[in-house]
Amino acid sequence: MDFASDVWYTLARRFRNGLREPIWIFFSLTQPLIWLLLFTQLFKNLALVPGFPTSEYLLFFAPGLIVMMAVFSSAYTGFDILQDVQFGVLDKMLVTPANRYAMIVGNILNALVSMVIQVLIIFGMVYVMGVSVATGVGGILLTLVVVCLIGLAFCSLSYALIVATRSHTALVVIANLLSLPLMFLSSAMMPAELVPDWVQTAMKFNPVNYAVEAVRPLFVGGYDWSSYGMGLLVLGIFAAVGVTTAVLAFRNFGK
Amino acid sequence: MDLIVTDKLTKIYNKQIVAVDHIDLDIKEGEIFGLLGPNGAGKTTTIRMLSTLTRPTSGTATVAGYDITRDSRKVRQLIGYSAQAAGLMENATGRENLDLFGRYHHMDGGLLKERIDELLALVNLTEDANRLVKTYSGGMRKRLEIATALVHQPRMLFLDEPTLGLDIQIRVNIWEYVRKLSEAGITILLTTHYLEEADRLSHRVAIIDKGKIIATGSPEELKSAIEGDAISLRMPSASAEEQAATFQKTEKILSAQPFVKKIMATHDGVNVYVDRADEAMPKILRLLEKEGVETASTTVSRPSLDDVFIKYTGRTIAEEAAQNNTGKEGK
Repeated sequence: MDFASDVWYTLARRFRNGLREPIWIFFSLTQPLIWLLLFTQLFKNLALVPGFPTSEYLLFFAPGLIVMMAVFSSAYTGFDILQDVQFGVLDKMLVTPANRYAMIVGNILNALVSMVIQVLIIFGMVYVMGVSVATGVGGILLTLVVVCLIGLAFCSLSYALIVATRSHTALVVIANLLSLPLMFLSSAMMPAELVPDWVQTAMKFNPVNYAVEAVRPLFVGGYDWSSYGMGLLVLGIFAAVGVTTAVLAFRNFGK
Repeated sequence: MDLIVTDKLTKIYNKQIVAVDHIDLDIKEGEIFGLLGPNGAGKTTTIRMLSTLTRPTSGTATVAGYDITRDSRKVRQLIGYSAQAAGLMENATGRENLDLFGRYHHMDGGLLKERIDELLALVNLTEDANRLVKTYSGGMRKRLEIATALVHQPRMLFLDEPTLGLDIQIRVNIWEYVRKLSEAGITILLTTHYLEEADRLSHRVAIIDKGKIIATGSPEELKSAIEGDAISLRMPSASAEEQAATFQKTEKILSAQPFVKKIMATHDGVNVYVDRADEAMPKILRLLEKEGVETASTTVSRPSLDDVFIKYTGRTIAEEAAQNNTGKEGK
């Protein structure tokens, strides 16, 4: 009961904070649109290459973009608590009887909610552009599950990094260093069949790739339970590692 | 009754930096207890251990009988903690800040609202309650920050350097609030490196240096342990070597005099401790003039807590503060 209340008030505080930053809302809503338009225009003719899985680059790229949004926005969520760490607010919160894990859950839920909204906007755009998703509403729901898992993993790691280093720079450098290569070493933009062998090998070790592979059939073709199941397994493990890291970082905070 | 008892409380960071070294404290219910010492003396680490933020390396401490490590949840219900840093959510209103801390203490909504109104009135922020904290002045922030530690009506309040970096008028203002709280029955442990603050607020003071408690008692007791008056001689400004030479010369001249009890170098001159300053002063000045030691000005003071600090450590707190201005206490 107390746990639920601690989660709720943490979340409510974040929502209120978010609503006080209309510019932030504006950008996080328009960003998916800009990316979708730019990428689909830029890579439009890729779909003409022999061996490309679909004649619509938009359908191919939308799942990649969804995963990319999830990775990018969750990798930087550590900034949400940076001020709390630096201004001693987190210290004061930890001196209350509130459950510290409930605080983590509340903060992550906040990040996931905005991520889900962004993903729904992309689905809306795809629909408006006159392309239909192969698996319809069922596919949208399954996509959101994957997005939440990968978001959970990256949010947790991002929080752990901020709590452990208390450094703005560390997060910027590491998030920048990792997020783009993680995208390029996946089939988000290019089908695996069209990239060099070593990239294909690297993809096998990249959790982001499993997210893309799990979601793509829902857009192109239809339900593919083996790649979806594989995605859930890999992302489940990745999320568990992330959450454990975050819990350990919080436990050691200030000790 | 003792509200806080510590037994050989110790914190060692990274197996080598001893921040707090076998501290034994007893803080009585209802008193304001001051922990006075220079930066890096171990004040913040002590307060962080007692408020369950940092685990002790060895030793124990109890708050109202509850062990700070084993019963930390219970301890957290009884204490309020005011951080040295700003400690507030900038992008939230004053009321929202108080509300969240009440919620984290699982207070009932109706009761919480009443309590918040009461606290806002106490710290004179009723009219600014619905403004964002980022628009607040330094004094308003500190008042609100202390209030956030009080929402759940704790029995024990920890104030870590409550007036650090604040103007003197604001400082006096915060002191008034602290006294008001004390009169309302709350027990307060405050850390400070301002002598005046410890002297004017605390019922009892412990002087801490390099992780060790070097003296404990009421400010009067501590000061009366220092006999006599202090005469501060300020010398004309000079290079460090010249200053050292002047000090040596002065020490040589004055230590030969039977009425001089002790001589200490300060950052701009010399402190001479004597039984009666009114009689000693003309003699001292005459002696120095004869030997060609110039003095720019003189001040006579009754012993202060700084003199207590000097007595035990041979240094003044003000000098420590100046040297460590940029160094922050280890967390």
